[in-house]
Amino acid sequence: MDSLNIPGTGRTPTVAFDFATGHLRMSGESYPDDVATFFGPVFTALRAYLAESVLIPIQFDMELLYFNSSSAKVLMNIFQMLESVARVGRPVSVIWCYEDSDESMRELGEDFSEDLHHVAFSLRNVPVGSIG
Amino acid sequence: MNFNLFAAEEQAIEKARKLGEALAVAAPDCAADFEELVEAFQRSTREQRRLVRVSDRLQAQLGAANQELERRRQEAETALAHLREAQEAIIQAEKLASLGALVAGVAHEINTPVGIAVSCASHLADATRELRRLSDDGTISRGDFARYLATAGDTATLILTNCQRAAQLITGFKQVAVDRASAERRRFNLSKTLQETLASLQPKLRPSGHTVTVLCPADVELDSFPGVLSQILANLVMNALTHAFPDGRAGRLTLAVELSDVNMVRLSFADDGVGMSEDNRLRVFEPFFTTRRGHGGTGLGLHIVHNLVVGALKGSITVDSAIGTGTRFVLLFPRQTPERD
Repeated sequence: MDSLNIPGTGRTPTVAFDFATGHLRMSGESYPDDVATFFGPVFTALRAYLAESVLIPIQFDMELLYFNSSSAKVLMNIFQMLESVARVGRPVSVIWCYEDSDESMRELGEDFSEDLHHVAFSLRNVPVGSIG
Repeated sequence: MNFNLFAAEEQAIEKARKLGEALAVAAPDCAADFEELVEAFQRSTREQRRLVRVSDRLQAQLGAANQELERRRQEAETALAHLREAQEAIIQAEKLASLGALVAGVAHEINTPVGIAVSCASHLADATRELRRLSDDGTISRGDFARYLATAGDTATLILTNCQRAAQLITGFKQVAVDRASAERRRFNLSKTLQETLASLQPKLRPSGHTVTVLCPADVELDSFPGVLSQILANLVMNALTHAFPDGRAGRLTLAVELSDVNMVRLSFADDGVGMSEDNRLRVFEPFFTTRRGHGGTGLGLHIVHNLVVGALKGSITVDSAIGTGTRFVLLFPRQTPERD
């Protein structure tokens, strides 16, 4: 299926889902005015992709530097969807990026990974200002 | 003491687990579904914990951002206060510099009558010595004596009038200088103060050949700040000399005073020079606005005028000008300066 590319704005993240290679990426900041309007299409595309029977390994890069509570819930839902396909044998890795010295973001990553048992979860620290 | 934000949820989960064990015995068919429900509730509780953390993090970030904002606001206000102080200091320095220029003008003005008096006295001394020599030789004639008397009379008159002129200038300048330095409030004659100030500016006015016409009723008395008025006039004159006649033409400056009513003085200062553009006219009282930066212009002369008219005299100042039509400043201020705003 086609890739999903949504350029970032001040309040919404860049979404780059390259379904052909299995490389999915969200970066920037996320506090959309209306969470359903922004993430609705993202979920629709992701759900359809995960329903396909191909077993291309998935790598999900989480590069959000700032997100509100709704976006946090969105992330948890996405992680659960990924966990479901990983449970039935599809290789999935999630890479949680946080900026150097942002301890609380690193701890949040650890928290967010506690329900992931089949997904390979890793933390990656990046220099301040290198993503956004 | 142990405080657990999610104690109630954990108790509920514990209760559900026990219920699940009982259910596994009583109704084994439902056990799996029930287990799933408990799982979902547990996950929901974990998600709740994460959301609380996310929310706390956001609040902390907001708090930090607000503190930063407040810090920057204070920095900006401090910077603004420093800037105002610096501006005030520059304006004070400019006032002192103009006082210095006044002193230089005074020295120049007094030099003329004193110089005349000195050469007259020297001439008289020569003539007296010559007469004494003739007298000692016994060769003095009636004609010699008559010539001497004429010389002595003429030179004595010249010495007297020039010394009187110098004394008069000193009295006038002393008043201007004291007024400017002290900003003292007193009753004074407007026409006299204007004349004295213009006299101190003669060294600047004379070489350029400009004429100054003063139209002021002789009997207008003010209860105000003569030094301020003198400074205002000096700055207006210097401004006109600097800007109005770039071609070196001898211009006409007119200073006109009328009482717009019993209590208000309307003082206009006009030149017939080159005038200025509307853009410049609108900015002319702004501090540091100058069309002659790099040529010694500080952009403070008219700003000081504005401040003095508004601040000290409690009046207002407007300016009319257009390219080629000359410039007219009109000051309107009370004859008796109010004690407070």
